[in-house]
Amino acid sequence: MTKAYYIIVVLGIFAGIANADAAGTDQPMFIFGGFGSMGISHSSMGSGDYVPDSSIPSGPGRTAAWSTTNDTRIAGNVAAQFTPKISALLQIDSEYHSGNTYRPEVEWAHVKYAFTPEASLRVGRLALPTFMEAENRDIGYTYAWIHPPVEVYRQEPITNSDGFDVTYRSQTGEWGNSIKALYGGAKHESNALPTPSDLTSRNLWGIFDTVEYGATTIHAAFQQRETDSGYLLTGQGETQVTDKDLSAGVQYDPGDWFMMSEWILRESTYKTSAMYVSGGYRIKKFTPYLTYAQNSLGSFLPGSPPPSQNALTLANREQSTISLGMRWDFMRNTDLKLQFDQVKLSANSNGYLENVPANVTLFGSTFHVISAVVDFIF
Amino acid sequence: MGNAKPHGILRNCLKILLMAMAGISAAAQAAVVVIVSAKSPVTSITAEQTARIFLGKTTSFPDDGEALPIDLTEGNAARNEFYSKVIHKNPSQLAAYWAKVIFTGIGRPPIELASNEAVRKAVAKNPHAIGYIDKRDVNRSVRVILEP
Repeated sequence: MTKAYYIIVVLGIFAGIANADAAGTDQPMFIFGGFGSMGISHSSMGSGDYVPDSSIPSGPGRTAAWSTTNDTRIAGNVAAQFTPKISALLQIDSEYHSGNTYRPEVEWAHVKYAFTPEASLRVGRLALPTFMEAENRDIGYTYAWIHPPVEVYRQEPITNSDGFDVTYRSQTGEWGNSIKALYGGAKHESNALPTPSDLTSRNLWGIFDTVEYGATTIHAAFQQRETDSGYLLTGQGETQVTDKDLSAGVQYDPGDWFMMSEWILRESTYKTSAMYVSGGYRIKKFTPYLTYAQNSLGSFLPGSPPPSQNALTLANREQSTISLGMRWDFMRNTDLKLQFDQVKLSANSNGYLENVPANVTLFGSTFHVISAVVDFIF
Repeated sequence: MGNAKPHGILRNCLKILLMAMAGISAAAQAAVVVIVSAKSPVTSITAEQTARIFLGKTTSFPDDGEALPIDLTEGNAARNEFYSKVIHKNPSQLAAYWAKVIFTGIGRPPIELASNEAVRKAVAKNPHAIGYIDKRDVNRSVRVILEP
């Protein structure tokens, strides 16, 4: 399945090169670039690892008091414009994941065909725009935080889909709108389970809409997919479970300051929700910011099979975080960020801590995480 | 009568001081204007519409004609003023914005030319082009459509 998409992408690139002479623009055909982050973090909680993403197998806390694995990555990117209508993108990303390696992976590879300046079709490995900062969640330089709020962004572990999407942009006066429909499938590794597993998602589809008016951006999305996580959630054979996400966000950024908030409702065999609100103020090269994030206890849907122990653990990750941080744009295309998180686990939850030994309960604990990161683009 | 003269001197001093201040601020802040070719049908545009074109969020003028933005390279005074007054982004916010757009394959930044004069010439030649230059570099080949 995945191979077929790569073949399509490669064919598309050759088709593009064949037509390259027709481009007739003053723009270069290829833009080579990349981005990266070097981070270090410390957690005061020694009984579990603090990780912002379920694809990261270990982090600061139990594995090591100080760790560089949470926010360290490098990526190379090639954006090609072959003709006014045909473009392509390839992004290779190296970050810490299962197997305890930084083995590079293809994050995105797609060919885009623009029928008109407003309507386009993309085929290949595509970003899944579940959240406002989902497509650029790996590009620390593009936002103020060390990483997007964990409680919300961990709700949807899938960041890309192999398939196609169709986008239509329109503008009416000062209003801009972009609507996207996507179909595909994905495979992702998850360490948020007793044994690291590859989870496969099929029939993944979604509708994503972004409205812009002046400094205000509103994003709304619905997506669903069938996953083979059924066994893990119910303990009953090869059960397919349908995951549904309904998410919305609003951002106001007039330039000197910003305020944003996002919410998600998620449903598999259980229902859960998460939200954050964040704001920051830009004073010359400094951007202090404050974020509050929380996720709720999952409640099992009536009629779903009895939850397994895994399902109970996955559904019961309620926690909240207050983050205070500062971004300093100290150099061209480079920033330095410091962030302090106070994480509070709910009464019956180990939160999003990973690698907590079996039968250890940290319910109701509060701990702190300190992180520093340098982000750059090139 | 006798005390009218010092007032006159004071008034003149004040006048000179005000003129000097006006001169200093004019020199420190180049007056940037948004231009199209004299051959273009576009006669006016809002700051918000200009921002949408320069940020690649649209490829057309509000009345539907194709819009091709032409930027100034970094280091030009007019560029800094344009981005702070019209786009409301400082250089690192702008770099962050384009990192998101380029690395996600949404688009690419406008063509950049090195001087006000080069931008004026390129805009004058192309009826679809839109640029911004220092007001002092405007001539009859281009039309000012926004004075932010």
